[in-house]
Amino acid sequence: MTTATKPPTPSPHVPVGLDWQLAIAQELIARGVSVAAYVPDSRLNGVLAALGERDIRLRNLAREEECVAYAAGQRIAEARPVVLMQSSGLGNALNALGSLAVPYRLGIPLIISMRGTLGEKNPSQVPMGRATTAWLGALGIQSFSLRQASEVGPVISGVLDLAFDAGETAAVLLEPELGGGRA
Amino acid sequence: MNVNDVTRTIMQCRPDAILVSSLGTATSSVRLVTSDGPHFYFGAAMGSALAGALGLAEAVPDRQVVAVLGDGEFLMGASALWSVAAYRPSNLTVVVLADGAYSITGGQPIPAPLHVAAVANALAGTRGVTVSSTTELAATLRAEPTSPDAPGAPLVIEATITERTWPGPSPFIDPAATVRNLRASLAQAPAPA
Ligand SMILES: Cc1ncc(C[n+]2csc(CCOP(=O)(O)OP(=O)(O)O)c2C)c(N)n1
Ligand SMILES: [Mg+2]
Repeated sequence: MTTATKPPTPSPHVPVGLDWQLAIAQELIARGVSVAAYVPDSRLNGVLAALGERDIRLRNLAREEECVAYAAGQRIAEARPVVLMQSSGLGNALNALGSLAVPYRLGIPLIISMRGTLGEKNPSQVPMGRATTAWLGALGIQSFSLRQASEVGPVISGVLDLAFDAGETAAVLLEPELGGGRA
Repeated sequence: MNVNDVTRTIMQCRPDAILVSSLGTATSSVRLVTSDGPHFYFGAAMGSALAGALGLAEAVPDRQVVAVLGDGEFLMGASALWSVAAYRPSNLTVVVLADGAYSITGGQPIPAPLHVAAVANALAGTRGVTVSSTTELAATLRAEPTSPDAPGAPLVIEATITERTWPGPSPFIDPAATVRNLRASLAQAPAPA
């Protein structure tokens, strides 16, 4: 089920030109997401601020592994969480993904802000960024790249379908082409 | 006190609680004591059970949730205690089975003293207490308010285990059955008083 992307209403917290962050938040809200568990990333700020403005519960947890386990606790009670992290944190989350989310078929939607790929200037973040889709794929988790604001609706909605309806943990990768990365 | 003493006492004092058990003696004991009741059994994901309990507690605010965690398990996911302290769900109780060992993998000693009750007291958002008998554990649990709107930081109970025996059936649970049974129980259970 795909929701048409409506022009997002402005938010005082989302920088001009980064409407995709607002559009993501609106799609999550439209699909009944009630809580976001995350470890911060600059490109997630706008999404989280827009969720917070609409009284979606925000849970800044200490580790990405906690975010996945937190979401697993929500999903076993059939609530609708989303997990947001930077790709640098995926390594911290692998055990909870591979030993909990996937074998229990809890269907957790992941939104991963990509580092270590196109335009990366920090050498230490390249290996994990380069490996992100491979790590996920090795666990049987599908990932979908988001590169244009116009694709927010179908990609976010499609990943929520996979997670909440098919019981498949699945990831949206926020690629550098969306903008908002470090200059 | 052994692990089954702890689990039995929890179930006597909190018969309607949902337990979250970590891989090790905890999952084995909860299986035994509740006859495979509808609880959130971890069969792996060592280090993730406390964060899982936090997520579940916030999803079912009208229910009591008790996390029953091995001490090795707790240490691996210790950062989650700070997350619990940050968000303080009043319906969550944490019980750490302090047997000083990784029992399920052969009883290798845990090298540093746990002191989790002291740590919980040091954090503003949690409280800690150490118990070494079922009498103390029962008194502690009975003294806690359980109404959904009861204020107060989550209690972390460090349960000193002196009698180390393997408690019950295998902790290698069927994930599908765990999810199915807990969801079915949540769907039918009215919120208890
Ligand atoms: C990430 C991870 N590391 C190591 C293991 C192996 N392992 C499984 S249970 C366990 C020990 C658990 O110890 P504790 O939590 O204290 O449980 P108990 O003593 O009650 O058996 C270990 C090391 C694992 N399953 N996963
Ligand atoms: Mg132990």
